[in-house]
Amino acid sequence: MTKSRMVLFLLMVAVMTPSFAYAMSGRDVYDKVQEMRTRMLDRKTEAVMVLYDRGGGKRTRTLTEYCKSISLDAYKILLVFNSPPDLKGVGFLLHARTLADRDLWAYFPEYKRIRRIPTASQDDSFFGSDFSYDDFSGPPNLDDYSFKILRDETVDGKPCHVIEVAPKTPHKYTRYVAWVAKNLWITTKIEYYQEKELYRSGSFRDIRVIDGFPTPFEIEMENHKTRHRTELTIKTIRYGANFPDKLFTQRALERGGGQ
Amino acid sequence: MNLWNLLRYISMKHLRLQKAQIFMAVAGICLGVTAIVSIGVVNRSVIFSFQDSFNRMIGNAALQITGAQSGFPESIIEKVQDVRGVQYAVPVIETDGMLVDGKERSMLILGVDVLVDTQVRDYSLTGESADVPDPILFLAKPDSILITKAMADREGFAIDQKIQVQTVEGIRTFRIRGLLNPEGPAKAMGGNVAVMDIYAAQMAFGKTGRIDRIDVSLRKGENLETVRQAIMDALPKGYMVDTPAGRTRQVENMIAKFQNGFDFISYLAILVGMYLIYNAVSISVVHRRKEIGILRAIGCRRKEIMLLFMGETLMISVIASSLGVALGLLLANSLVGAFGKVISETFVRTSVTGIHVTWLYPAIGLLCGMITSLIAALFPAMSSSRISPASAIRSVPYTEDKIFTTLRLNLGGVFFIALSFLLFHIYGFSGPYLLAAQIMLAVGISFFTPAFLNGFVTLFNRVFASRLGSAGRLAGLNLRKNLTRNAVAVAAVFFGISVFVASSGYVHSVKGTTLNWLDSIIKSEIILSSGHPGSSTNAQIIPLPANMSRELEKVPGVLAAAPWRRAFTDYQGSKVLLSASDYTQYPKRSHDGAGPGFMKNQTHFIPDGNRVEISEAFAAIFSVKKGDEISLPTPAGPVVFKVAGIVVDYSYDSGVINMDIKTYQRYWGDMLCNSFLVHVEAGAKVGDVRDEIQRRFGVDRKLYVLSALEFKNEIRKMLDDMFIFNYALNVITLTIACLGIIVALFASVLERTREIGTLRAIGMLRRQIYGVVVLESVLMGLAGGSLGSVAGIISGWLNLEGFFVASLGSAKYYLPFGAILWALLLSAGLSALAGMIPARRAAKTNIVEALAYD
Repeated sequence: MTKSRMVLFLLMVAVMTPSFAYAMSGRDVYDKVQEMRTRMLDRKTEAVMVLYDRGGGKRTRTLTEYCKSISLDAYKILLVFNSPPDLKGVGFLLHARTLADRDLWAYFPEYKRIRRIPTASQDDSFFGSDFSYDDFSGPPNLDDYSFKILRDETVDGKPCHVIEVAPKTPHKYTRYVAWVAKNLWITTKIEYYQEKELYRSGSFRDIRVIDGFPTPFEIEMENHKTRHRTELTIKTIRYGANFPDKLFTQRALERGGGQ
Repeated sequence: MNLWNLLRYISMKHLRLQKAQIFMAVAGICLGVTAIVSIGVVNRSVIFSFQDSFNRMIGNAALQITGAQSGFPESIIEKVQDVRGVQYAVPVIETDGMLVDGKERSMLILGVDVLVDTQVRDYSLTGESADVPDPILFLAKPDSILITKAMADREGFAIDQKIQVQTVEGIRTFRIRGLLNPEGPAKAMGGNVAVMDIYAAQMAFGKTGRIDRIDVSLRKGENLETVRQAIMDALPKGYMVDTPAGRTRQVENMIAKFQNGFDFISYLAILVGMYLIYNAVSISVVHRRKEIGILRAIGCRRKEIMLLFMGETLMISVIASSLGVALGLLLANSLVGAFGKVISETFVRTSVTGIHVTWLYPAIGLLCGMITSLIAALFPAMSSSRISPASAIRSVPYTEDKIFTTLRLNLGGVFFIALSFLLFHIYGFSGPYLLAAQIMLAVGISFFTPAFLNGFVTLFNRVFASRLGSAGRLAGLNLRKNLTRNAVAVAAVFFGISVFVASSGYVHSVKGTTLNWLDSIIKSEIILSSGHPGSSTNAQIIPLPANMSRELEKVPGVLAAAPWRRAFTDYQGSKVLLSASDYTQYPKRSHDGAGPGFMKNQTHFIPDGNRVEISEAFAAIFSVKKGDEISLPTPAGPVVFKVAGIVVDYSYDSGVINMDIKTYQRYWGDMLCNSFLVHVEAGAKVGDVRDEIQRRFGVDRKLYVLSALEFKNEIRKMLDDMFIFNYALNVITLTIACLGIIVALFASVLERTREIGTLRAIGMLRRQIYGVVVLESVLMGLAGGSLGSVAGIISGWLNLEGFFVASLGSAKYYLPFGAILWALLLSAGLSALAGMIPARRAAKTNIVEALAYD
């Protein structure tokens, strides 16, 4: 290789390096995120949820979540509140036949009846928390969104892709921007916008690798309009639980899980 | 000389000089317009309030499905949701509650599926504008309730506070889980609204598994009628699928029937005002006849003279009508609350928070004031144009008797009365035509006032005049001098008194008929209910469990406690009232052996008999006869009932069906009731038993425990409230009538200035002059009062037939003897008072000036 050819090669490398870095599209990144979320679906989680209102008041509740992956995009989730006493036994059961076809039921012990939560409500706040039903109900259907990589940034020392995600059909938010940790393929920060206005943001901290899965142990979501904030702290998490199907029935919902 | 200059230089001068006459004319028209505007605005405000609340409650639902008032199975929702074209089918429970503490304010409690209902109604239940701190707790706890921010601010409530509410299950404690922003349903009923989750509402109000209504929204592009038909096909018979407009129309028609009577009175008030304008312009013509002659002599044309008077009238009427509009709005504002309360207690729950003003009624009032004034001024204005310069300058007395001859007026009277009968003949007693026919009749009779006054004076002259000396004879003579104008004053009194007697006769008959009917059906000594005892349509009643009768019967002194349920059902697309009571129990338990129940011959009401009685209104509306069969929708499907009889029942003007309560409970599965008819054992003191019931049951529930007499007094009070407008309008019409007499006598005194001067010159004393004028006034008042009383009796009977009998059933017309006596006393007394002002003027007449007066 002559000197001039060497210079040309180095120039080409220099010019093309950024292109290599962005060789992944936003959708590619989210495919990775989706793959990771799907793999993490077989699990049992014990968590504490604390809701802070604008006046500084806080409400604490503990919950247990059971997840079971059925196939690539089908899964079931059972979530049961353990405390406070007013909410003990209140539970939610989700059956996702595909990522776009989900059924959600709720159980309220004092009524002794199961209620179907309509799909239309699933975009809303998850019962007073700052999480949406979607946050709790597993991976979204990526075909319903468009993705664009905006830039790279480092969050809590982790290099991230900053990706803008816009729903193709009208949602409560018009777009969100997610910081996806490179190589871990989990979200470390997220911001939801209504038009240009930031209305909700979340951070995913204390990321530990459990059974080979990067798991944020502290999740915080804040509603900037209501100045309401929710913290979710994972106490224990166990992957590969392989729960039996009978745990994800309406009967089990009435019993409050119990595994 | 152009008209503008005439108005500017001549009219303005007279308007300034004739302040008293102008004031009275303005007052007459002003009061008439006040009556029209206030009644129109109050009526419109009540309807608007109802529509607004209804629309807020209905949200964007295109259809509403209702069944029996007792509720229907919630499984029906799925059937509706599965219908093609239906986007959302959301369940609703609608019930009344009453805050136990504080002001005991009643409220509408809406039980909705809060997870879906936002798709149909616009709440701030979720989302950033809401203040529901813990929605999961709200859904998880059956005591959760959301109240409006308006109610919280008013009552001093806060989130997480417990409140006690009187419900069908007794007094229940709820916890406020959030506050609703003033949007959608939260703004209805003046903010007296609470929202519960549907399942919590079912538990709280004893409706487990049942709902009251389904609201349906349609998918985009779907045809309303196609979907409506598809839903009807999918549902069992007996469900009513209607558009919100259809449902509001039913209630609006119901309220309109009640309101029509007031329109009649308000339009009569403006007619009385018309007579005042007629008199004021006539006086002006009398006063200015010389000036008219001069104007004519210097070249003013007849048309210009007429336009001069019409222009003056227009100016006066614009001022009077504008004042009337302003006063009408003020009066409406002060009466709307009371009127809304009556509507709310009697017909349908509504919360009128203020007047709703559109341009319509102020414009109607303004136009009515101006047009009637111009019509009233037309004849004297035309007469003025006929005054020849020579006769005016020679001071030939001005009289309209040549224009308005008794024959012409009588013919006019016959024409209007014939027109009135024609309207009755063609349209019967239906609302607006009845109004027009009655006004025609009143106008027609008023045309006979000159003839009547003539006859009245003849009678007076023959019987009384000589006994009253010269004053009596002079008064009789004077009244005949300008019969037409004096007859106008008599007509003003006639209208005032006829409205007073008609209104009193109607009120008296409605009260008498209703109380007599109550006497015939309420045979118990005590009536117990949880809401306003006079509410015939459950507007504010919180039902009680029917099995409470067992507990009531344990109270010492109680012989029997019969539940009485009143609930609405659909019959051929209309809402009718089902009235169910324990007919079979009464004869057995009676202590007098004859049966203190509703009626003695109720043996056909055997529980298995599927027999009903219908009200006369029901029979008339649906053309049903005794022995016919009617099919009624029940939650379990349609059931056929045989009509065993047609009875008088004024509970509901769209029709009442009476049946045995066991039959009702069996088919409707509704174990609630609105009230209990409690029979007291012989020898037991009613007061003691009532107090004991209150002591035992009044802790858990807010109860009205009334003796039969107290109950009837409550009904009487409610009826009084219903007719509050009648009383206000009576005052207005009588005031206008008084003004009419004053104006007429002023004209008479003015016209006779020289004659009075002559009488004074030949030795008549001031007090004698005074006495003559007052006597004339009293005679005119008595003539108007007598004719008005007769016309009022007829009009009252027509009102009863048109507004009560036609919608509720046969009723007896009670002659309002008291009111007639009052009418005569008032017409004589008020006329005497009205006559004092011109009498004083006549008595003070300066002899020299009077003799020089031309």
